[in-house]
Amino acid sequence: MNTGTLGISAEEGLDISGVLYNYTAVKNVVDDFTVTIESDKVGGGYIFQEEHNWDGKYGGRIQNVIPLPYTPVEQFGDGRIRGTGTGSLEDVSILYMYRWDLCRNAQNDESCPNYIPPLPVIPKIEIYDALDDEFVTDTTEAVDDNLLDKKEEKRETEEEDEEKERLEIAMAASENALTIANTTSQASILKQINTATNINSYYVAQISGGVYRDTTQLDGGKVVDNRLVFRSLTQEQLHNEMIQEQYK
Amino acid sequence: MNKLITLFLVVGLTGCSLFAKKVEANTNINGNVESRCTVNTDTVGYYGNPNAYTLTTLPASAGQVPVVRVDTSLANAYKAQISYPTSFSSSPSLGDTVVWTGAVAVAQTSSNDMSGYQAASTTADGGAMRIYNLVHAGATWFSVSSVATYGGGQQKAFPGGSYTAVVVAECIAQ
Repeated sequence: MNTGTLGISAEEGLDISGVLYNYTAVKNVVDDFTVTIESDKVGGGYIFQEEHNWDGKYGGRIQNVIPLPYTPVEQFGDGRIRGTGTGSLEDVSILYMYRWDLCRNAQNDESCPNYIPPLPVIPKIEIYDALDDEFVTDTTEAVDDNLLDKKEEKRETEEEDEEKERLEIAMAASENALTIANTTSQASILKQINTATNINSYYVAQISGGVYRDTTQLDGGKVVDNRLVFRSLTQEQLHNEMIQEQYK
Repeated sequence: MNKLITLFLVVGLTGCSLFAKKVEANTNINGNVESRCTVNTDTVGYYGNPNAYTLTTLPASAGQVPVVRVDTSLANAYKAQISYPTSFSSSPSLGDTVVWTGAVAVAQTSSNDMSGYQAASTTADGGAMRIYNLVHAGATWFSVSSVATYGGGQQKAFPGGSYTAVVVAECIAQ
């Protein structure tokens, strides 16, 4: 039961007091046909259920009322009219009679007793912060030292953060590399150890020859200093002096 | 002394005759019987005029079939007698014959137990009256169609004016 079914608003306060139904049963006298008019009750069962047995009767048009005690519309589930057997239903119309208790929910109308005026909707006010205004920032950027300092600080902080991040990544990479290297070196040592298990051939090896004599011959017996070297040393002294200049 | 006795006798006889006089009183017992059957007009009918010589209640000819509702709260106590008109109750002066046809039928009922009313009905008054035994309590709607043709088959035009005919519906105790 909803607004579409009732044709009116199915709000709290609507009571159904009866159902007016109309239908035409089309059948032959000898055919068995049953018509059921019912409405489900929310939570199980039926609010009303009426069955018409048309067995051995002429078809015809029926109009009748099912009176109900005032029943809140919230209790109504789906309603239906259905025919079983040999025959058909035509020109079906079902009307619900109702009363509307406007003030069952006092908030339905301000004239109801115990009506509480709803709180007004408070509009959301956007607070203007001139410091967040990009136009203001742009305008004051060239002359406002505070803004410049803040900007510089912000930039430095960002650079530091980036540096830290890079360092962390690099350390992580080198740590990984060392781990890999350690694994490799250990494998190498193990390999060498395995190789050293058979080194007897080194003990029995014989190296031919004995002493390697000096074969250099000094012609004339005098060693002359290289002038270019002195020159080079002079330049080196100048160089050292230049280096020492920075500590003065 | 004798005179005195005679006087007493006369007085005694007179007294006896006074006490023996007849006294009568008529006391009414009133009562009302409220009918358990009511008849009401559900739909007012009117004639359409598809051609100059015909008045008809058929919707196809812009007419409307009247519907009479009969309610009874007592089963097997009343019968409904419904008649379609066979004359105008008011009309312009008519110099020629009007041929009347019509039909009475059960339009709808409040219970499927009444679905046999039409089949069980009888006719009277040359077929213009149909009689229904109201064997079930409840409401029954009767539709009454009517067609009047002027000219006695010669298709003469009705004189211009207002025409009224009456459907008679009665609920009579069985």
